Amino acid sequence: MKPVRFEYAAAASSAAASALLAQVADDAKPIAGGQSLGPMLNLRLARPSALVDVSRASDMRTARDEGDAIFYGGAVTHAEIEDGDVPDATPGWLAAVARRIAYRAVRNRGTIAGSLVHADPAADWVNVLTALGAHVVVARGSAVRTVALCDFFTGPFATVLAHDEVVAGVRVLKRRATARWSYWKFCLKAGDFAKASAAVLRDPERRETRILLGAIERPPVLLDDPLAILQGRRSLADVVTQAAPHLSDEARTLHIAALRRAIALATSDGKPGGGS
Amino acid sequence: MNAVTLRVNGTEVTADVAPRTHLADFVRESLNLTGTHLGCEHGVCGACTMIVDGRPVRSCLSFAVACSGADVRTVESFDDDPVMDLLRHAFSRHHALQCGYCTPGMLATAYDIVTRLPNADEARVREELSGNLCRCTGYVGIVAAIRDVLAHGPHARTVTTKRSARSAQVTTTGWNVAAKIDTDDGHRGRSTGLIPLPARIDGGITLSRAVFVPVPVDRLWTTLHDIDTVAKCLPGASIEEVREDGSVLGAFAVAIGPMRARFTGAAQVSYDVASCSGTVRGAGGDGISRSRADGVIEFRALAAGNQGSKLDIDMTYKLSGPLAQFGRPAVVTHVVDVLLGDFAKNLALASEGETVIASAPVGGGGLVLGTLLAMLRRLFFNDRT
Repeated sequence: MKPVRFEYAAAASSAAASALLAQVADDAKPIAGGQSLGPMLNLRLARPSALVDVSRASDMRTARDEGDAIFYGGAVTHAEIEDGDVPDATPGWLAAVARRIAYRAVRNRGTIAGSLVHADPAADWVNVLTALGAHVVVARGSAVRTVALCDFFTGPFATVLAHDEVVAGVRVLKRRATARWSYWKFCLKAGDFAKASAAVLRDPERRETRILLGAIERPPVLLDDPLAILQGRRSLADVVTQAAPHLSDEARTLHIAALRRAIALATSDGKPGGGS
Repeated sequence: MNAVTLRVNGTEVTADVAPRTHLADFVRESLNLTGTHLGCEHGVCGACTMIVDGRPVRSCLSFAVACSGADVRTVESFDDDPVMDLLRHAFSRHHALQCGYCTPGMLATAYDIVTRLPNADEARVREELSGNLCRCTGYVGIVAAIRDVLAHGPHARTVTTKRSARSAQVTTTGWNVAAKIDTDDGHRGRSTGLIPLPARIDGGITLSRAVFVPVPVDRLWTTLHDIDTVAKCLPGASIEEVREDGSVLGAFAVAIGPMRARFTGAAQVSYDVASCSGTVRGAGGDGISRSRADGVIEFRALAAGNQGSKLDIDMTYKLSGPLAQFGRPAVVTHVVDVLLGDFAKNLALASEGETVIASAPVGGGGLVLGTLLAMLRRLFFNDRT
């Protein structure tokens, strides 16, 4: 099928994109790589009256070292992270995650902010960047606000963004090799959306321990008292049931397994990082 | 129409394109380059994969208008390419194609594998190929052909991959005033007419809600007996006309994230005074996405506590068509659960005498149930009392 008719404009910057969105009906949407919105447009499940193309907005195509963090422009593609075309804020974790997103042809156009704004609960960046404590930088005209990803998602496919707000980029704190990380996801086939996922971060330097339960068809959940979970003082079945009571028995079983495997990867004596 | 200039197979092309024209349609329909094949047209099958700025991309998920300044290479442009020559012969030797429909996309992906991943083993080749579907050969021949070419590598790519290509300077284009969108062109909400009500819903999902309403049960029952109020309490639903015979014209709408659907069809309400209960049955189709929704709501008013009452609602629904494929079941269930919760809350408010302004699409955890069900096109009122 073909999309319904829409108006199109390209933006040279995130601020320009926001201004363009403010000029049209509030069903207009920004589009970057179009790898999530595109299928919905083609199936006519999404019918925006206008699209603002941010895939070449200059401030969204850059990545820069900010000392304690790396800022990734929103239109940086998954393939560019996979290939190391932009700096990795972590010891290779982001590149490993990027490589497992969908397929190469999708990664060549799909973008980091597009994935976050689409807010599919099963998407990799939604879960991984929340687990890493990342922040999105949101542009509205020339004004900018920063939102922690743990406060960004309000539901499946839903975020705090107003219709004329654009995610200009993502700020990811640097993690050193002393930190440990794991991300486990279950997919029915390579490149498919995850049925269940879990991520573990242990960063002794920053004194941060986070465990995330993802792909629960709701925004991801950062689990309470992660140290107790890592030390085996809490039953994983209870933890999952408490964090995501809506899961079916089958889904709960998968999530418990994902959590167990992510914890095993992050606490084993093997090399840090890895697992996806 | 928007003007776009890009390079296709080495030649600069300038054209006026409708923004909704994707790259595959553009090269096939405007440039007669029919070597690019379209399969699923939503990014799953990989048949339309072509090389843009040196990288394989889904041309069905790339709008031509967004490829301004891009270097596009379709399968037709690789006649003299030494790497593609090796791949063509290897595909032939290993019986890597049968009907040939997936082959242009397979070749684009294979080209990327053999030039980008010179050390790929079989597992990696299969992983990289997972986004290209073949329904004839079973992949064994395709994998063998690619490994054969890899074994004779490494191969330098003859198309350049430049990150800067996608960083080409753009100037902000304003809205194309001449191309003013006619939002009443039927593409955003065309009626499909009546759909017969199913006798029952097989394989539906049932959700239940119970809310306490601080009014006596007879007042709750009076509210439930007013179709107009009940419709106003159902977020996304609206009634246009209640007829003398009790049949009603109306609408129902839902949104799940960026997805919108508008269902038109029929609904029927029946009441049973003896048990203070009733049933709404509805069925509707969304002509634009070719999706269908069936639903039954059963409600019951019970006395509860001192001068209070309890409203029990069970809703069974089933979606089919693209919306069902795309709106993953657990997500849709969440949306419907929010809808049901708001419906119950609104009914309680209405019973207490509050004016329900109604039919505003519901927001729940940010979800807007706004355009799924223009379902109550014709609501037959059938009072058993």
